[in-house]
Parts: sequence; C-alpha cells; structure tokens
Amino acid sequence: MRKYTFGGGIHPLSDKHEGKAPTRMREITDFAPDQVTIPMDMHLGAPSVPIVAKGDYVKLGQVIATAAGPRGIPVHASVSGTVSDVGLRQLAGRVPSMTIVIDNDHKDDWVELTKVGGVEDAPKDQIIPAIQQAGICGLGGACFPTHAKMIIPEGKHVDTLIINGAECETFLTSDFRLMVEHPERIIQGTRLAMRAMDIDRAIIGIEDNKPEAIEAMSKAVHGHQGIEVAVLKTKYPQGGERYIISALLKREVPSGGLPLDVHVVVLNVGTVAAISDAVLEGSPLITRIVTVTGVVQNPSNLRVRVGTSIKDAVEFCGGYTEPPARIFYGGSMTGIAVPEDSFPITKANNGVVVLGEKQVTDYKESPCIRCGRCVRACPTRLNPFQIKDVLDNMDDLDGAEKLHITDCCVCGACSYVCPARRTLSASIKAGRDVILARRMAK
Amino acid sequence: MKLRVAAAPHLVTRESTRMLMLDVLIALLPTTAAGIYLFGLRAAWVLCASVVAAVVSEFLWQKLMKRPVRVGDLSAVVTGLILGLNLPSTVPLWIPVLGSAMAIILVKELFGGIGHNFMNPAMFARAFLLASFPARMIVFALPERLLGASQALSGVDAVASATPLVMQGNWSYMDLLLGNIPGTIGEVSKIAILIGFLYLLFVGTIRWEIPVLFAGSTALLSWIVGADPLAAVLSGGVLFGAVFMATDYATSPVYTAGKCIYAIGCGIMVVVIRQYGNYPEGVTFAILLMNCVTPLLDRFTVRRVYGTVKKHA
Amino acid sequence: MPKKNSMRSIFLNGVLTENPTFRLVLGTCPAIAVTTNAMNGVGMGIATTFVLLGSNIVISMLRNFIPNKVRIPAFVVVICTFVTIIQLMMQAFVPALYDALGIFLPLIVVNCIILARAEAFACKNGVLASAVDGLGMGVGFTLALILIGGIREVLGAGTFLGMNVLGAGFEPVLLMILPPGGFIVYGLALGIINAIGNRRSKVTAAGKEGVQA
Repeated sequence: MRKYTFGGGIHPLSDKHEGKAPTRMREITDFAPDQVTIPMDMHLGAPSVPIVAKGDYVKLGQVIATAAGPRGIPVHASVSGTVSDVGLRQLAGRVPSMTIVIDNDHKDDWVELTKVGGVEDAPKDQIIPAIQQAGICGLGGACFPTHAKMIIPEGKHVDTLIINGAECETFLTSDFRLMVEHPERIIQGTRLAMRAMDIDRAIIGIEDNKPEAIEAMSKAVHGHQGIEVAVLKTKYPQGGERYIISALLKREVPSGGLPLDVHVVVLNVGTVAAISDAVLEGSPLITRIVTVTGVVQNPSNLRVRVGTSIKDAVEFCGGYTEPPARIFYGGSMTGIAVPEDSFPITKANNGVVVLGEKQVTDYKESPCIRCGRCVRACPTRLNPFQIKDVLDNMDDLDGAEKLHITDCCVCGACSYVCPARRTLSASIKAGRDVILARRMAK
Repeated sequence: MKLRVAAAPHLVTRESTRMLMLDVLIALLPTTAAGIYLFGLRAAWVLCASVVAAVVSEFLWQKLMKRPVRVGDLSAVVTGLILGLNLPSTVPLWIPVLGSAMAIILVKELFGGIGHNFMNPAMFARAFLLASFPARMIVFALPERLLGASQALSGVDAVASATPLVMQGNWSYMDLLLGNIPGTIGEVSKIAILIGFLYLLFVGTIRWEIPVLFAGSTALLSWIVGADPLAAVLSGGVLFGAVFMATDYATSPVYTAGKCIYAIGCGIMVVVIRQYGNYPEGVTFAILLMNCVTPLLDRFTVRRVYGTVKKHA
Repeated sequence: MPKKNSMRSIFLNGVLTENPTFRLVLGTCPAIAVTTNAMNGVGMGIATTFVLLGSNIVISMLRNFIPNKVRIPAFVVVICTFVTIIQLMMQAFVPALYDALGIFLPLIVVNCIILARAEAFACKNGVLASAVDGLGMGVGFTLALILIGGIREVLGAGTFLGMNVLGAGFEPVLLMILPPGGFIVYGLALGIINAIGNRRSKVTAAGKEGVQA
C-alpha cells in the first residue's frame, strides 16, 4: 500500500517502539473515580461560565457551565453527585482556572438525552449545533471547539475531510485502541461530519506502526462511499495538522493561515467518535480515552471521566512502581509536566506518563556546534539554532520574526535531536509567545 | 513526592557532542594506525604531542579566561589528532605543539569557542606551519616498508622525498591506495580513510554530500585539465581533507544545497591551485577559502519555510 | 590650567590615551605593511612624525584663511608638500631605508592619522598646541610601529633592529614577517592593549567614584 509522508521530522524513541509497547495491546477500560475536578478552561477560547453552586445535586451529563460566547462550548457533569466546590485552582495554565468539584455517588444517574437522528437521516443543520451542545472540542490535544472549526465561512469551500489517526506522539495509544475497538463509531462520526459540511471525500490517515488499526479501519470503511484509509510513514510529527495535510494532499497551509485556506478540515478520530455519540445518542462529551503509562503497575488505556485526577487514574492502574520523578500530560515530545498528581485529566489530555528517577535526566546545555541536525529535523523548514541564537544573544525579536518564528509548531523535534542538549524548542516557544502577544497588542 | 517540572521534550536523543567527537576519533583510528605502521614510532610521538598540546591549550585558555572548561567534549582531541595527521612524521615535536596552540587559541577560542570557529582550526594551523617553517613541512619520510629496502642500499634513516603529487607517474594505484608513498602521517593510506568515511556515514556523524562531491569534482576537473582523475583523488590530501576536514560542522554550510556548492567549490580550488598555483598541494587553501565562503552560502541557500512562497534572492 | 600641563596632556594623549594605532585604529596600512622589522618601523614612524609636525603647524597657522568648503584639498596639498620633502631627504641620506619603505613613503599622504589630526585638532587649535599634538601622535605611532615591528622581527627572524637576540637554535616563524603575521600581531596587540586599557579605566572610574562618595 502506498505510504504518504512529509519533509523533515524525526523518529523519537524508535528503538523502544516510541514507548507505545506497554499499552498497545491493552483494551480500553472504563474508570470512574470518587471525585472529579472539572476546569472551565479545558478548551481553547474563553472559559465556560459555571451555572451550579456548592451543594447542588447534578445528574450525569447535566450542563454545569455554559459557553462563554458563540465559539465556546458548555461543560457537563462527568459523574452524578453533589457539587462539593466551585472555585479557582492553580492548574497547568498560566492563571488559576475556575473549577467545579463533584463527589461521585457512583449511581451514573443520566439526564435525559435527545437523539438528533441516524447517520444518514439526522437533519444536516442540526448536526453542528448538537456538536456544540455536547461540548465537543478537538481530542487530539489542541481542544479547539469543534463546532467552530466546522462552520465554514462565507466564500471558502472545503473539498476534503482528513481524519487524523496518526497519533505520532510517543507513549500514546488511545487513538490506536479507539480505532481497533470502535471503528464503526469513527466511520459514523466521519459520515456525519461530511454531511454537516457538505464534503464528498474523507481520508483517514493512520501511521504504519499501527497495522491492526489500519486493518480494522479499512474493513469498516468498506461500502462507505467517499471515505478511504491512507497509510502514513511513521515519523514525528506526522499527526500535526499541517503535516498530515501536506503528506496526504501535497498542499501547504499558508503561513498564518488555517487548513480552510487549502480547502481542508482536519478532525481527530476521538473527536469524530464523540460526534457520533452526540448525534446518534445525544450524549455529551464526559469521558475520554487516556493512555496511562510509565512507572505504573499496569499501564493501560483508560476511558476516564473528565476531571479524574492523575492520582486516581494511576491508582486504578495499580499505583506507582517507584517514586515518580516527573509526570506529564500527553507524550514526551510536547507533554506538559505537572507539579502534583492531584491535577485533573481534562478533555485536552490524551495521555499521562510517569517517569521514574532513572529516566529523568536534567540536561545541561552546551554550546551549539552547528551540526545542523535541528535544521534537518524541523518539519516547517526553519533554522532552530539560528532563531535561538538571535533570541538569546541578541534579544532580537524582530530578527526572530524575520526568521519565521511564528510558524514554529513547537513540536520539539529540534530539541530532541540536539547533541548539545540545547533547549531550542522551549526558547523558541517563549520568544514566539512574546512576539504573538506583541502583535495582538498592536 | 517531589515532581520535577521542566519544558518538553522530556526524553531526548542519547547522542551528545562528546559522542559525536568520539565517533570521529574512532573513524580516525584506522588512519592513525596506518600512519604509525607506515612511518614508525616517530609518527606516534608527533600525534601525541599534537593532541596533548591541543587539550592543554584549551584547558589553560579557558581557565585563564574564567570560562567553563569544555575539554571533556573531546573536540580539542579531535583537532589535535587531525592536525597531527596533517604533518610529516619528520617534524620536530615543537611544531605540532605550536600548531595545536595556534589552532585552539587563535582560531577556536578567540572567536567564541566550539561552533564559532570561522576556519577549520587544524587546517589553519597547517597553513600557518607551512608558511612559517616551509623547510620542515615539506620533508616527508618514506614509509618504513620501503625504507627497509633503501636503508639496505644506502644506510639512511629518513629520505627527504617529494610526494606523489610532485613525482607523478612513479607510483602504482595500489601504492597510492595503501599508502606506500611519502606524505603526511594521515593522508597516505586511502584505504584507512575510506574505512573511516564508511564508519562516519554509518553512525550518521557526517553526510555523504561533501566528501563525495569534493572528491568527485576534484576527479572530474583534474580529468578536464588533462591529469589522471583517479591519481588526482588518491594523491595528496584530497581524501583526508574531504572526509575529515571539509566536513567540520562549524565551517561547512548547514543546508544541503549549500553543502553541495561548497564541496564542488573545494574541488575546483584544489585543481586550480594544483594546476596554476605555486604549491603542489591545493587542499589546505581550498578548504580554508571555502570555509570563508560558508556564511555566504548559508545566507543564499536558505530553504523555503513551510507555508511561504519562495523569496526573491 | 597652566599651559605646561596642558601641553603635556596633549602630548601624552597622542602617545597613550588616543594612540593612533591602538586606540584610534588609524594608519593601519603602514602599521601592518612596513613593520616587517623594527628598523622599518622606526623609519616610517620618524617620517610620519615629521610630516605630522609640519602639516599640523602649517595648517594651524593657516586655519583662519582656508575656506571651510575647500579645507580637505587644502590640507592634502600641505601634507603632500611635507611628504615630498621627507621623501627627497630620505632618498638622499638613507637610501636603504628609502628602498625598504618603498611605496609606503608616498602613501603617508593618505595616512589617515595626518588628515584626521588636521581635521580634528590643527584647524581648531593654536600653533603650539597643534605642534605638540602632531609630535605626540607621531611618537605614539612610532612606538606602536616599533612594538609591532619588534615582535614580528623577533619572532620572524630572531633579530631586533638587526641584532640577533634569540640565538642560533631559534627557528624563525616565517609567517610573522609575511602579511598574515602582520595582521595577527596587530590584532592580538590591539586586543591585549585595549583589554588592559579597559581594566585600567574601570579601576580609575571606580576610584573616582570612591573619592566623590
């Protein structure tokens, strides 16, 4: 089968199967904790507004926070029980997040759900509103409100829907298990998305390190007109939106632009599965599949309730096998490290990795030797060592802008390959954030 | 529990600067061994002096200037060894010591340390020594294997001899390949250099473009000016320079297009200097000249960034 | 301030504080080209000093007469005159030195030091001050040339002012008496002298602050 790929990129942890070996073959297991802490700012955009108070009883799937604007999404209770706290907590974000804490009564007392319709008969114009009302945001990690992505502005048209099954990050197997175990939900969600946006063609891109998923999805698309499975060469960051588009369609998203500009919409497999649930069953987004791995007793793919703490998830997996030295959301290339394991798993997190003392190395930066490995690794064809040099040694934000720092996708490939252990990705991200803030201020 | 928070990526490659340098040293082992086998213990002393002087110079300078001491990354060892391999085995030991000190202090440390040298330090040192002590630098010993025969005839220890570049036609291809010819310690055994080249390619320390295009363009241009292309590549310092000196990270272009132009430029310069210049060997100055052109090449071979249109020059 | 101190400070300015070779970085072409040995350095230095003295005095005397718009050509005419004088004298009395300096003797005309001092000092100051400035600059230049020339000669030939100083066992570093050696010695000397100068001025500034406080 033909394999698609993009320019640049790296093969992190390739001698250890990208860290995915412990959880590849573990089936998805459901887990509901005793307490959930649900932040209001899980998605990109303005935080949602709580509409419940301490002491209120909430049902499973009940709206507990409303969207802050037309591009926002509501938040639903991921367990039934009593609200034990509504307040600000310092989580992984820059400012404290408003959170709602619910004690689970384990009754799973659902609210009444309203189906929108079947795959082919659900009214087109009701699909996207249903997606918003279900609180669906991109489950690949970015968590952008999906309905906002699917509303195609006047004057633009979309000819292809790409379903992102690449899962290029290290350690993660959540999308993989979803594709193996629930291919039909993914196909249903794809069809619904195609109908809602009037798109005739959908491509499901899957990396070739997931042969079981390729097989399962290929079987499932059989008979569905317009949907095909395409195999991608395993390379990081193939799952990046811009690179899956350039690999499958040979189109480049313009600098500063969106996939819409090249007539494409990209959705994660988990997101479309959630779309299927929202339309066919009326159920809101209250669970997500997360890969819990590392120095835990039983690395697993858990379907957790949104707001489950890392601690509870790890305990369910048998606890730590050794004292953890670093815990981060997501994979090792872009994961955000947390200071405590009381932090919740949100809609945006697709993995929890725990590293032990021996695996965590505090790297000491040494001078750049101009070897050019970072240049060859960069999928955006930037020059990372030059950008860092300009930022660090010359404090030159304008110079960095000229070097296209704002096009950096912060994939971390440059930092990974650097033999001098230079913190390229982190420096570039910091500089990029300052420049973007400066632009917004103007 | 004490969780350490840091920025991503949390796991990185195992390769380090030290490992890269170590790979270069390993690749230089065949050449070093061949040099000592062919030229005897004298060569070993020259190499030792060169390496020790380089490391000591770097250590003392960094200590003096109150900078972090980085001799552990082995780059000084590499510079010292490469300089030593670029010298005839007959030189008095103060020559490699002076050369190494010049290379490390003048070209590397004064300009900012590792990664900031604007010229290949070992190459500069060789040019410096060549211009400063010409008599010492062009006296090449005959390899001991051949020496045995001539010693029996005339009872001498070393023979001042010109390299195959000057006495073309007197050596067979096999001699050129194996190194049974006069020359500097490292440049004579082409087989050893090729083994080192393959090793470096295999572990990914260097890329194929510069050595292949350098040697290739030297051969092609030599053929055009009427010389034997194979002999041209196998004589003098072309192979050694192409594999170990032109590929220095700091002084060769970053982008592939630039690397290709640089390598071809080196080849052109080598042939031009050999053919029309005063020196029999052109590799030293060819590489130095192209080193100076590298920043220009880096400016003009910048790749088009994803999502942008091609810039005008 | 008594005139004597002022003259002294002008003189020392030219030799040390604003040394033309190591501080103003003017006249670098002869500084590198002729300093293949110390003697040449002395010869060039003396010739330049003569021209500086002469041109500074004359330009200072004429400073109220030369119209501003044509001052540069006027200065050059004056400088040329003195260069021609010293050229003819050297050709007559020290032909060996004259040959050694070669083209760099007439090139004193475009030596930036002379034009710079004419522009910056002589056309704005009195005759005595200009003379002292010219002398100071010339002496500073000469000392610099002796330093560079001396280092190059010692390292590149083993001699100083023609006398063997390092003995027979010394192998001269030929590069030192070639142009690249000139650049290297000049560059290193410039760096070291400026580093020392910077450290001293930091100490002086700190000292002054201490006094004021």
